[in-house]
Amino acid sequence: MINFGYKRNESATLDLDVDNSELYKKMLEEEPSSATCISCGTCASTCSAGQFTDFNLRKIMLLCKRGDTQSLEPIINRCMVCGKCQFACPKGLNTRHIVLILNKHLNAGKIS
Amino acid sequence: MQERLANSFDPFVLPYTIGLVFILTYLFIALIRVVKALPNDDKLKLLKHIFSLKIFKSGWEIFMECLLHRKIWKKNWTLGYMHTAFAFGWFLLIILGHLEVQIYAPHRLNLPWYPIFFRYFMMETQSTMQGAFFFFMMDLTLLYVLSGLGLAIFKRFRRKAFGMKRTTKLRWNDQIAVLALWSIFPLRFLAESFYSEISGGSFLTAGVGSIFHWFYDFTANEIYVRPIWWAYSIALGVFFIMLPWSRFTHILSEPLFIIMRNAGIREEHRNSGYGKVEIYSCSRCGICLDPCQLVSVASLRDSAAINYTRHLRLWKSEKAHQAASTCLMCNRCTQACPVGVDTAALKLNTKHELVNLHTTDQYNYLNTNAGADLQSVPSSVDVIYFAGCMTHLTPATKLAMTKILEASGEQFRFIDEEGSICCGRPVLLAGARKSANELMEKNTELFNQTHAKTLVTSCPICYKFFKENYDLNMRVLHHSQYIQELLKEGEIKVNPTAAKIVFHDPCELGRNSGVYDEPREVLKSVGQLQSTAYDGEESLCCGHSLAAEALPYRKRRVMSEDAVEKLTTNNPDILATACPACKKAFSETNKVEVKDLAEIVAENLV
Amino acid sequence: MKSIAIIGAGIAGLSAASDLSKKGHKVYLIEKNVEIGGHVAQWDRLFPSQKEAKIVVDELVKNLNNRAEVLANSEVQHCEKKDNKFELILTGNKNLLVDTILVTTGFDTFRAQRKEEYGYGIYENVITSADLEQLFKKHNVVCKTGNPPKRVAFVHCVGSRDEKVGNRHCSKVCCVTAVKQACEIKELYPDCEVYNLYMDLRMFDRHFEDMYHEAQSKYHVNFIRGRLSEAGENKDHQVVLKTEDTLAGKPLKLTVDLLVLMIGMEACHSQKSLNAKLGVRSDTDGFLSTKDIFTQNNFSNTDGVFFAGTCTGPKTIPETFADARAAASLVNAYLMS
Repeated sequence: MINFGYKRNESATLDLDVDNSELYKKMLEEEPSSATCISCGTCASTCSAGQFTDFNLRKIMLLCKRGDTQSLEPIINRCMVCGKCQFACPKGLNTRHIVLILNKHLNAGKIS
Repeated sequence: MQERLANSFDPFVLPYTIGLVFILTYLFIALIRVVKALPNDDKLKLLKHIFSLKIFKSGWEIFMECLLHRKIWKKNWTLGYMHTAFAFGWFLLIILGHLEVQIYAPHRLNLPWYPIFFRYFMMETQSTMQGAFFFFMMDLTLLYVLSGLGLAIFKRFRRKAFGMKRTTKLRWNDQIAVLALWSIFPLRFLAESFYSEISGGSFLTAGVGSIFHWFYDFTANEIYVRPIWWAYSIALGVFFIMLPWSRFTHILSEPLFIIMRNAGIREEHRNSGYGKVEIYSCSRCGICLDPCQLVSVASLRDSAAINYTRHLRLWKSEKAHQAASTCLMCNRCTQACPVGVDTAALKLNTKHELVNLHTTDQYNYLNTNAGADLQSVPSSVDVIYFAGCMTHLTPATKLAMTKILEASGEQFRFIDEEGSICCGRPVLLAGARKSANELMEKNTELFNQTHAKTLVTSCPICYKFFKENYDLNMRVLHHSQYIQELLKEGEIKVNPTAAKIVFHDPCELGRNSGVYDEPREVLKSVGQLQSTAYDGEESLCCGHSLAAEALPYRKRRVMSEDAVEKLTTNNPDILATACPACKKAFSETNKVEVKDLAEIVAENLV
Repeated sequence: MKSIAIIGAGIAGLSAASDLSKKGHKVYLIEKNVEIGGHVAQWDRLFPSQKEAKIVVDELVKNLNNRAEVLANSEVQHCEKKDNKFELILTGNKNLLVDTILVTTGFDTFRAQRKEEYGYGIYENVITSADLEQLFKKHNVVCKTGNPPKRVAFVHCVGSRDEKVGNRHCSKVCCVTAVKQACEIKELYPDCEVYNLYMDLRMFDRHFEDMYHEAQSKYHVNFIRGRLSEAGENKDHQVVLKTEDTLAGKPLKLTVDLLVLMIGMEACHSQKSLNAKLGVRSDTDGFLSTKDIFTQNNFSNTDGVFFAGTCTGPKTIPETFADARAAASLVNAYLMS
């Protein structure tokens, strides 16, 4: 391939040619309903934590699917696990379980 | 009555004696390990309890529950009879056996096999009134135990006759133990019948013995029937050795469990010695299977309390965690359990072991200045109303509450009108205790800034947590209680209607907080309250419990639909409840009009 | 002379009735309501051409030219198949003996009260798309107070694509209707701000994308990709909306004077009991189960019973007409054989 002269900025791109789907596969395996998200945003809209911080479950799940998991580590446990999103979700996703699973894998072993 | 043999020993007593020594050693070691595993303050509680008068209360409870099985009698008298026949009958046999030795051969009391095989070692030279009495009592008790055995065998094949749709399957270890247990009494009966002409007997053993004699003179050829004593002894030995490895462990652990429970020990932080005793006190009777909606409606048998304890016993923590995270924590199983095993606390600990949500200052984004509004609540405001996060998804309830509060003339403030943070119970139910504590601290600080005397909430989950875990300087009421109070004091008045209403007790309000009467009194004043088979302690879970984070929506939906069907058999006009989660669950089924009781009151205010 | 009973006098029923009566068959058109014309008769103007709904219904009635016997205000009580004929008993003990049955029962609109968090029936300025059409017809699009709205929001997918209310399907027409109604509001009140909250904008057919284009270029309608999670009401009885702008990736708050819920299509609520009488089946979504979704979409599993229109799933009006004409020709072929 001809290099035009400028390099692509890696961090600005979601690179699906690099396999970084490990976390998403784990999430799918432990909570199959996570596959059925249609990114409607109801969870992020109703979220109590989302009113105070940039915690956004829709975005978190999407980034997890796209393999961009680094940015999730520091924010995943801002969730209060109240379950409001679960009641509002039109697809019946087990949102609380998804948060717990992601947290388990992202923050394993480094929590008080 | 005198000793028949000069030798007080026969090799056939060995299996029994080895089993006995084994089980006593096991018991001793287990006891030490359990007590050692207890946190220090729990050890102290246990010690205090043992050396106080309260120990007699525990003793009485052990007698009533472990021997007489009072709770099983209350549920089902045939099951009760069966259990009592085994436990109390066997207990009587042991006591009577020792009494006989005490009276006729007191110097043999130091031989543990003597009371058990008394009729082998003794012979009746002349019959006395006293002897006849003991023989009669022994035979009567044996018959009693045998009748229980008959029922047990019948139950294995026809459990429906005992009102049980489901029961547990026996694994190989249980099969050996059950077989041993079942053979003990018939073998004893045979051995004593064959020997009745030598050792004496009463209506049962002597009667049957004489029939045997009619066929053959066994007394003269004792050698042919000696193996029956061997079999009897082996059955006892096998049963003793299988005790710790089978469902019958509960015979050993239940008395200790009762003492510990009465000492006030509870599982709070991790599963310690008490938890172990509690797990092993589960007799795997299967009584909890039918009440569990996960089993009976959603076909998730692996999640039943009985299987959760099994996973723990077999150190299958992954499976135990799965069972815990699909459990609704509705506590229908605990309510039905004859032993009183409370798996909810154990399940929380199981979750806690695997859920690490907490980091220091996890919720530091919650700026407490957000409570500036609450600081400004004037001191004249007596009542603060906290709808709860879920209630914002059932706005009819919060509007009804505002209407009722306005009508009451009370000075109130709707403090989470613009939203709030979570009370912390959902995250606790997910197993993250420290995270829950952090939310609890933040909320407590906010609430206590007001001068309110009463906190009213529409969410039973919040209610339970505010009431039992928060340290608030005001009283906490669920809206059903508050409305009942307003009605009683005449602060509000309602027009009675002819609407037929069925009330569904939310788990967190009813079984888990004990609030049953207030909602019913409220509903009686506005409509015709119908009773159902699922009132009060028998109430069902709506399926939308927050405890079961891993339970798929479609399973929940099946449970909601089943509950609605069961609750509406009498075609009520309104299915009333008092919880936003239950309301959502039931309205989603679209089968009947579902309302919060506050709505019904608000609609009919005078 | 062969005879046919058509159940449901909506546009599918009317269209098939006129086709079949023109072929010389005796047609009974059974309608449970007093008025014929179904949902379309309740509508003001139709996408994509803004043709008046009333004109469409009038044309159908004119085409029919009184050749069919219209049995309004009656329902099928009982049905029995006897020697290739169907014996129907209607309400009021009217008996019919027909050779074939065409089911054109259509759909029911989703009962918006079921999404309690959206506040229909609770907040005074929350209406449905069907309510809005009534207001258009009366030329009286105002808030409860009587004032014209300054801000209006349309919420797409109310009761559609929603597992929680048991409707997993897309209702097909609501997106386009929402764009149509948004433009109509702007036509009425050019200064009014209009917002459409959509999950996916499904402008799938000819001219629809042009409508979307016009909504943006001519009317400056705001499109926000996000689903409403809950609505509240402020002291002025305005509706406060909570959603996420999923494209911006942030929660969004929006206060409007009027909230319009785009209610979806559900299988007819009385479909189940009718199915039992006719011996036909519904799928899990409640809509009728056809013999083959590609080649025999107008056939039921019972010989002599045919389907047309939205009773076999959401359809636009042109699609409904095409389906009704196809069914009419199949029924005719069946009667002639």
